[in-house]
Amino acid sequence: MDVRAADCCAAAGVAAGDKFVLKTTNNKTRKFFSMSEEIAIEIGNEAIGADKVSKTVDGPDGRLTILEDVSFRVARGDSLAIVGASGSGKTTLLGLLAGLDRPSAGSIVLAGEKLDALDEEARAHLRRRRVGFVFQNFHLLPALNAEENVMLPLELDGRADARERAGDALARVGLAARRHHYPAQLSGGEQQRVALARAFVHAPEILFADEPTGNLDQRTGAVVGDLLFALNREHGTTLVLVTHDANLAARCARRLGLIAGRIADAATA
Amino acid sequence: MKPLAFAARSLRREFRHAELAMLAAALVLAVAALTAVATLANRVERTIVASAAELIGGDLGIAAGRALPPALIEAAQQRGLATTQVADFPSVVFAGEASRLADIRATDAAFPLRGVLAVRDAHGAEQIVHAPAPGSVYAEPAVLAALALKVGDRLQIGGRDLVVEGEITRAPDSANLFRLAPRVLMNLADAESIGLLAAGSRARHRLLVAGDERTVADFSAAIKSTLPAGAEITTVEDAQQNLRGAFERGGSFLRLAALLAALLSGVAIALAAQRFARRKREEVALLRCLGARRGEILLALLLELGLLALPACVLGVLVGLALQQIVFVLAGDLLPGTTPSIPLEPSFAAFAVGAAVLFGFALPPLLRLRDVEPLRVFRRDPDPRAGRFDALYLLPVVVAGALIASGAGDAQLALTLALGFAGVALLTLVLGLILLRFVRSAGARLPAALRFGLANLARRRTLSLLQAGALALSLTAFAVLAVIGPSLLASWRAELPADTPNYFLINLQTGQRTAMQQRLSTLGAQNINVLPLAVGKLVAINGKTPKAEDFADRRAANWINGEVRVSWSVDLPPANRLLQGRWFDPAADKPQLSIDQMWVDMFGMKLGDTMTLRVGERDIDAVVTSIRGVRWDSFRANFFLMLDARTGDALAHSYIASFHLPAATPLASLSRDFPNVSLIDLNQILDRVREIVGRVSRAVVWVLGFSLAAGLLVLLAALAATADERRFEAALLRTLGAHSSQLSAAVLGEFAALGIVAGGIAALGSAAIGTALARRVFHFASYLPPFAALLAVVFAAAVLVALAGWLATRRIARAAPITVLRRG
Repeated sequence: MDVRAADCCAAAGVAAGDKFVLKTTNNKTRKFFSMSEEIAIEIGNEAIGADKVSKTVDGPDGRLTILEDVSFRVARGDSLAIVGASGSGKTTLLGLLAGLDRPSAGSIVLAGEKLDALDEEARAHLRRRRVGFVFQNFHLLPALNAEENVMLPLELDGRADARERAGDALARVGLAARRHHYPAQLSGGEQQRVALARAFVHAPEILFADEPTGNLDQRTGAVVGDLLFALNREHGTTLVLVTHDANLAARCARRLGLIAGRIADAATA
Repeated sequence: MKPLAFAARSLRREFRHAELAMLAAALVLAVAALTAVATLANRVERTIVASAAELIGGDLGIAAGRALPPALIEAAQQRGLATTQVADFPSVVFAGEASRLADIRATDAAFPLRGVLAVRDAHGAEQIVHAPAPGSVYAEPAVLAALALKVGDRLQIGGRDLVVEGEITRAPDSANLFRLAPRVLMNLADAESIGLLAAGSRARHRLLVAGDERTVADFSAAIKSTLPAGAEITTVEDAQQNLRGAFERGGSFLRLAALLAALLSGVAIALAAQRFARRKREEVALLRCLGARRGEILLALLLELGLLALPACVLGVLVGLALQQIVFVLAGDLLPGTTPSIPLEPSFAAFAVGAAVLFGFALPPLLRLRDVEPLRVFRRDPDPRAGRFDALYLLPVVVAGALIASGAGDAQLALTLALGFAGVALLTLVLGLILLRFVRSAGARLPAALRFGLANLARRRTLSLLQAGALALSLTAFAVLAVIGPSLLASWRAELPADTPNYFLINLQTGQRTAMQQRLSTLGAQNINVLPLAVGKLVAINGKTPKAEDFADRRAANWINGEVRVSWSVDLPPANRLLQGRWFDPAADKPQLSIDQMWVDMFGMKLGDTMTLRVGERDIDAVVTSIRGVRWDSFRANFFLMLDARTGDALAHSYIASFHLPAATPLASLSRDFPNVSLIDLNQILDRVREIVGRVSRAVVWVLGFSLAAGLLVLLAALAATADERRFEAALLRTLGAHSSQLSAAVLGEFAALGIVAGGIAALGSAAIGTALARRVFHFASYLPPFAALLAVVFAAAVLVALAGWLATRRIARAAPITVLRRG
């Protein structure tokens, strides 16, 4: 693939996220599942882009730098694991990428939208339509049962078929029988499976997962990991994963290592 | 996101959990208390008005110097109202050579429309009757005694012979203090045919009407503009000064009780809302993270609150109406006779106040949720401390203030309560901070379990202070109701002791004074009080002749057109208190005047004003040197106007005496030996006032039940405020190997300390509020708060709070720690 291909895409009006077929001059058909970073950027098909992102906070002992000059790109359908020791800034970076917080310096592009050009309301709207989350401590609402928790993103979007789709999503994660159970009545693994159902129920383009197996034992963690990647494949979702779990990180297409807020290496698997 | 649908779903789902149920329960309770009390008070008031109607013989009177036009009577009858005509005039009654000035009342056969006219016939039997038939009269015992007549004999009025058919034993309007003479009741047709009511007679005509409330009120409103000149409407409310005083106090008691119940519910709502908002914080962060907009979340929260308020307020109104009906039925003797319909206004008012209480107390913590950052889903940061003053928290203060101001219906009651509760809150804050500092420094010497409990209080400083404040406020309200209320009621009852004057003597002449006092003593009279009385006319105020039309207060006309009575005394008479100015200066050489507060209201008078009174041939220009508050329900001889003794003694005057004698004492000889003196029997009206005191006392006791429930709800809400955290801590301690006895000791220590502090402050606060209420609102001569009972409140608070805390956490100690820890 070269720059001319990018020009063709642009000339044909291929919008970001569109599936397209490119016929080469020797008339061989090639389908693109994943694109190299440069081309994705050129045709506007990047899912996430971070450019010289820094984050500082004022602490009791003066200003603290949590992230410094972090730049990278993630193409649509790609999967990226952010790895690093505790306190290296992984979760802060995840929050910034998801538009939950603003960087002190630098800029971020999420699903083709420049986040610093959006106010909080517009960022919320972007998340509602195109982003899903999985958290280390599940974040299921204790007052709602499994089904109601899964319905939440659809209800926020005013979808009339929320219950039906939530039922399907729960069935997909093997919890159809537990749909009326409350979080307190579910095991950790079951709670995270409900959270996965909630994350995928509205078919987001991008999924952010913060230590999705961090609160689970190895075996349960592996089951949840399998489910996460299976759902990711089914939905063609871009995945950004923060994890300590080397096995989980290894299943991602790319890995980004953070040491004390700076990128240690940017390896592509 | 569709906020309304989302709010409805959230409400339905979250109702399964404690906070919303607590909010709803508190709201139902507040609205129920307000509805029940306001409805009950309204019905009691109307019954009391109805009993006052029995005293004047009708629901409404129209009085005039001439016979009232037949059109007016027809208008009343067309509306379905019962009517009766009454004409009062003085006339001399003869029997042979003997004569006696009597107050003649001529009426038609319908009299009385309300109340009872009873006479004793020739056989000594008492009968309930209406006005006498033509050719006959009923006379009061004093008339018969003075003329040496008995039932069946004849007397002469205006030259016509009339048969005495009965001796009046009970009659409406018999307690009018300033009637000239004892009464004779005759038929209106006789009076007309004799010519006693001809033009130029001194008769005062009255049309009395009676019917259902609304028709009477409509009639009163309709005729106002068409009344003949000089005619005025008298309602039963302003007919009896002493009944009114009694009712005003009774109303204050009821309003006090309802108000405190509502405020207690407000505190419960505030606590439940705090906890609700705390739990909502995580949810709001998640919703924000999932893409809900700030405005949508806020709108959904408000709608959720609204959806909660609507059915809760409706339920509260229904519960309140049902409860007041139960009270009405159970306390059957509370409201004998007529059963007034259920008024709707108190229900609407309670509904509105309930919604205001909910939004006022619950909005601040919920509105703060707009500041929750979506990043909270990753890190449970401690809540940012509000560095700046959060004006939102003024909202509940404003709502509480408005509630007190509107519910009290009395500025003094409102001010006393508002200052009292603000003082309690402040004291809790100051004392709480001092104690928490003490716990921190001296706690190390305490046993471990207790230390842990007390350390809990110190660690959760803000929450502990909030909890202590809520407890102190609710316990104060509770102590005011449970301890101070009954003791105030007892003081009220003590204001009408057994020797309360039940007879008045008027027209006692200077020469008869000593002889009468001796005679009364011989008869065994107690509490004898004799005061001089001069009758005059109001000539000018500040040199200007007053005109009735210049004053909005229609009572003013009575004093401008009628007589004024003045008395004097060296000392301030009992049942009077100085509101402004000083009691008379004996050295002053100019006439001085002391006026009742009512004259300030009626004529806009103030200290230093001059009033010109004409007594006999003399005009006195007296300067107002003091303004008094008179307790009209004290049943002593009281006066709106009092002169200094030196000025008074120089005026032509008679005496008025009040005294107490057992009701059955025969007093016929008194009338015979002092024929010019009129004896007025106050037993009937005294009974009425005692009845009102009794009814109101019982109603207050019933209302207490609401406040008790509200108080318990506050306690539960206060405990629930820290329950989540406590549950986790207990599980952690259990995991680390703590015995359940150690957990119990920690909990008991923490809560007993909280209870003692809150109870102590409540005891002090309620004693102060009680004393202020007694002095400023109820105007009791003396009142001492029941300190022993208040001490019991402190003890009970410590035990109750500790017990409730222990019961609430016992469940926690029993649960398997892992389930609690897993829930986080």
